[in-house]
Amino acid sequence: MRIRSPKDFWAGLIFVAIGAAFIALASQYRLGTMHRMGPAMFPMLVGALLAVLGAIIALRSFVLDGESVPRFYARPIGVSLLAIVLFGVALQWLGLVAAVAVLVLVGAWAAREVRPLETVALAAVMIVFSVAVFVWLLGLPLPLWPDM
Amino acid sequence: METLSNLAFGLGVALSWQNVVYCFIGCFLGTLVGVLPGIGPVATVAMLLPFTFGLGPAPALIMLAGIYYGAQYGGSTTAILVNIPGESSSVVTTLDGHQMARRGRAGPALGIAAIGSFVAGCIATLVVAFFAPPLAEIALKFGPADYFSLMVFGLIAAVVLARGSLMKAIAMVCFGILLGLVGTDVNSGVIRFAFGLPELADGVGFVALAMAFFGITDVVLNLEHKDKQEVFTSRIGSVLPTMEDLRISFWSIVRGTGFGSLLGILPGGGALLASFAAYMIEKKVAKPPRSFGEGDIRGVAAPESANNAGAQTSFIPMLTLGIPSNPTMALMIGALMIQGIAPGPQVMTERPELFWGLIASMWIGNLMLLVLNLPLVGLWIKLLAVPYRLLFPAIFVFCCIGVYTVDNKIFDIYEIAVLSGVGYVLLKLDCEPAPMVLGFILGPMMEENLRRTMMISFGDLSVFFTRPISAAFLIAAVALLAVIALPALRAKREEAMQE
Repeated sequence: MRIRSPKDFWAGLIFVAIGAAFIALASQYRLGTMHRMGPAMFPMLVGALLAVLGAIIALRSFVLDGESVPRFYARPIGVSLLAIVLFGVALQWLGLVAAVAVLVLVGAWAAREVRPLETVALAAVMIVFSVAVFVWLLGLPLPLWPDM
Repeated sequence: METLSNLAFGLGVALSWQNVVYCFIGCFLGTLVGVLPGIGPVATVAMLLPFTFGLGPAPALIMLAGIYYGAQYGGSTTAILVNIPGESSSVVTTLDGHQMARRGRAGPALGIAAIGSFVAGCIATLVVAFFAPPLAEIALKFGPADYFSLMVFGLIAAVVLARGSLMKAIAMVCFGILLGLVGTDVNSGVIRFAFGLPELADGVGFVALAMAFFGITDVVLNLEHKDKQEVFTSRIGSVLPTMEDLRISFWSIVRGTGFGSLLGILPGGGALLASFAAYMIEKKVAKPPRSFGEGDIRGVAAPESANNAGAQTSFIPMLTLGIPSNPTMALMIGALMIQGIAPGPQVMTERPELFWGLIASMWIGNLMLLVLNLPLVGLWIKLLAVPYRLLFPAIFVFCCIGVYTVDNKIFDIYEIAVLSGVGYVLLKLDCEPAPMVLGFILGPMMEENLRRTMMISFGDLSVFFTRPISAAFLIAAVALLAVIALPALRAKREEAMQE
């Protein structure tokens, strides 16, 4: 047996896994009856449907031709996610100014081409902009500086 | 005549100076962000959502609607000048619009897009005003079983009309429904699928989900492709089309508006299907000489009118049934909920100022877009010249601050990171995010209505088939699935999507 449609094969497997996970998690809750449905009933039904669909999609990939899985580039997605997580950490402990600086300075490395000076300037502009617009103009409750 | 007096009342609401200002700000910001390449209306609305938090429900909704039209229009500008569709509904605009730009006719292309959109918007506003109220009255008679079946129909329709594999799209709907169920179950008080995280008790954040799937992952995918962009920023010339242009595009605009208004009402239809259908029909029925694909102005006029009309009429199911027909409408419903308003047919009677004010503001918004875009096109073009390496960190900043300010929870920022990772993998495997987002919004409503139905019927499932309205929706859903499963039609659909 050869996988003819790798994209579908992996998508199908992921759907089976998600469906199974929700069924397993839902089994801790009360199922109830059709008349009085408990919190587990609906998720189990939908989870089962998802798992079945996933299985069909995965099995079908042995028969139908399809595209291969495109390359995953580690840098753009990895750096972007890291920058976002760091933004969260920085916002909690250091305030908005530092958080925006971190997000821009780290996030910019997600692109292939990085120009350090330009990035620093962009960070400065974004800090001024977000403080002016979100905090002063819109009055959103964002901490500007670390809590002392 | 009642509709006219209601419209007049709505105009009164929409023309209050503050609502006009918010409508203007919405259109302006929407266009500003929508022009940026690679950012579609969903991401734009999600990113600009925080700007409406301080407002009351009516101004907030009016501003969001303005953002939506603005983003839609901004996307067309990008499609014409850079050949990058901001979203799928501008894909067809790139075909002839960009060709016109290459032939030095970028100005008239932009002009006819604005004029076509304005005409379509005016007519579609009337369609909404006349069709929404009777539909809302019918909807008030719906029981839980009818609602459940309607949602099944809506999701199936959305999936059938979406691009790509049907099965994967249905699977994505299921995934969305399951994600939507995370959090406290209103019936039993049990906190489901929260992994013991107290932050998940309120469920997965909708704004985080929309931004992750339509904002962050899009940026990441853009960073992976390094396409050469051809930006026509130098000489645009006059944006005013010639009389000859107007004459030959007149019927295209009318046809586009008609199709757009009709298809926009369908669940899952909205702007995307409208613009595709309008373009294909235009190719068949337009008077020769035809030069579609080589810069025919009718190839811009028809889809642009259609997508604006469709964008407008897609408000009908949202306003009357509380059911989103596309991800942008799902965001609107999310915004209504944040404002403490339960969407549904009762909004029209309980909050007439909201309902009619919004409808009237659609017309004002369209007028503003016309006024805004023809003279400001130079500004938008300057924006297009900003390199992507400077734009994308700014998008990150908007998304992160935006998602935090919904609830002021740091957790939501981590959530957007996790969801972006998931979205990235799914997008790589060609799993469309739009059906998932609809499932996410409809999931909890479906569960609620299913439970109520079962309570009333003592667990008897046949009630779905014995109630006429419910049965009609289910039969329609099955028919849609059957039709699309037929090999001949399937080939047609794929062919249509290819174009």
